[in-house]
Amino acid sequence: MVMTSEQRVEATEIAAKGRSPWADARRRFFRNKAALIGLVILGFVVAFALFGNSLAQWSNEELDYNVMGQIVELGGPSIESGHYFGTDDLGRDLYARTVQGTQISLAVGLVGALIACVVGTLYGAVAGYFGGRTDSIMMRLVDIFMAVPYMFVLILLLVMYGRSITILFAGVGLISWMEMARIVRGQTLTIKGREFVEAARATGVSAPVIILRHIVPNLLGVIAVYATLLVPLMILTESFISFLGLGVQEPLTSLGALISEGAGTIAYGTTWQLGFPLLFFCLTLFGLFFIGDGLRDALDPKDR
Amino acid sequence: MLSYILKRLAIAIPTLLLLIVISFLLMHSAPGGPFTSERELPPQVLANLNAKYGLDDPLWKQITTYVWGIVTEFDFGPSFVYKDRSVNEIIAQGFPITLTYGLLSFAVAVLVGVSLGVAAAVRHNSALDYAAVGVSIGAQVLPNFVMAPILVLVFTLWLGWLPGGGWQGPEYWIMPVIALSTSFMASIARITRSSMLEVLTSNHIRTARAKGLPERRVILRHALKPAMLPVISYLGPAFVAMITGSVVVDIYFSTGGIGKAFVDSALNRDYAVMMGVTILVGALTIFFNLVVDILYGWIDPKIRY
Repeated sequence: MVMTSEQRVEATEIAAKGRSPWADARRRFFRNKAALIGLVILGFVVAFALFGNSLAQWSNEELDYNVMGQIVELGGPSIESGHYFGTDDLGRDLYARTVQGTQISLAVGLVGALIACVVGTLYGAVAGYFGGRTDSIMMRLVDIFMAVPYMFVLILLLVMYGRSITILFAGVGLISWMEMARIVRGQTLTIKGREFVEAARATGVSAPVIILRHIVPNLLGVIAVYATLLVPLMILTESFISFLGLGVQEPLTSLGALISEGAGTIAYGTTWQLGFPLLFFCLTLFGLFFIGDGLRDALDPKDR
Repeated sequence: MLSYILKRLAIAIPTLLLLIVISFLLMHSAPGGPFTSERELPPQVLANLNAKYGLDDPLWKQITTYVWGIVTEFDFGPSFVYKDRSVNEIIAQGFPITLTYGLLSFAVAVLVGVSLGVAAAVRHNSALDYAAVGVSIGAQVLPNFVMAPILVLVFTLWLGWLPGGGWQGPEYWIMPVIALSTSFMASIARITRSSMLEVLTSNHIRTARAKGLPERRVILRHALKPAMLPVISYLGPAFVAMITGSVVVDIYFSTGGIGKAFVDSALNRDYAVMMGVTILVGALTIFFNLVVDILYGWIDPKIRY
């Protein structure tokens, strides 16, 4: 095939343009089938959480007096009544409540992972960068914190300071930064010996600026991987606590709280109350785990 | 080896003390005392109660009394809600139950997980391998609080094979153990598989095969031991998560272990019992991590801290 001059210019430009590590990672990620499936699943769940309400015929707080008292016979999933997922034992629309529960669970997952990332990254980077005694004291402290049965402490906190969603958000984030701190510290130790850090230090850049401008940006790949894997863990933690009835409070709900309600009423034969929240819970986790694994394969140089 | 164990112990003991002090301070800083209730108590009664439980002492004295009681007599003090029961009695009632299904679940998770992982790695890319990977991916999204209602739905309500709750005999153990072990089994299988795959390509395995050892011996003697290292480091967190999962099992299957004591005390604001359970679980965690560390040092002689 004969190329036109324009095509030839284009071709040489493509050949000359190097691929950045990020572009490489993106290519590897999109070649990974499991990761793509995860992306599609998560996209569906997120769309459900964001736009699901526009399809709902009932709000999440309305009681349907037609089905009250006869939930088992009339409260099942049906298109005609507008309760696509059926109703709960009080006659509230389960579809609207599942949308709300998915929203809250995703939010807790994201905020929790964000807190864990920020705290863990800063802590680990500081410990790794300064090294020596600071490092050993800081990491010994992490060792000690890791031995704390955090779920019990979180429940303790929720009971003592009231079951507010703020404490849940903060608590869920604050219990999981330790693993992140360890990983970031390990990576910082290898980065801080590089020439560009030395150069920065030689030109008199202060330590906080070196950490934030030179070390943390180089850790972004690792951070992104573990952040993605943290989100499902945060959702699991929140659901666990909500399952025990200690998490979010009515009228707010989360997938864990809905699963708990469904699990409490299966004996009456209203299996849809368990099934639909469970489905969305599993889909969310599946999507996130697949994406996390895919990102790790694409970004983590250790696993190749 | 001995000095290594002593070194780990030297870290474990202050950790435990710190845990006790932290949970004590947490409890102390809670808004409202343990006797705050809707019904206002007369000040004299409140003063008497505070004196009885030593709550009018200065903080440092309360802490030292509490720590001293735990260290010397293993005494967690009286319950704040049940006047005639001590924290020790409440814990002693539930602890054997938790330990029974906890250890069983742990054994099931490790045995099944490791076997599945090894089988998948040995028959890499076979139907068995894909099945094992599929199972472990699926089970990853089935934590205890998801497994519990599903099991009850299937085995109690639909099939009617197993009792839905209680703690009277071995048939009552089955569902709690499955519910608690599934997700860990999956993780252990995944970790075993990937580390086994890595070990199987290493030089010492090629040598073992080259000198004509039977395949079974190559796998069990030469490959399994090094492949267990990542699994062992996973056991510590897995153990903690299983103890935490006992809360769900106790609530959902009415098994009556310490998880129930914990949630009851949480709802009653019985801080003394909550602290007792938290410290006990913390101590177990620290002890278990110690065992894992020692095991790790024994399997991998390269590791010296």
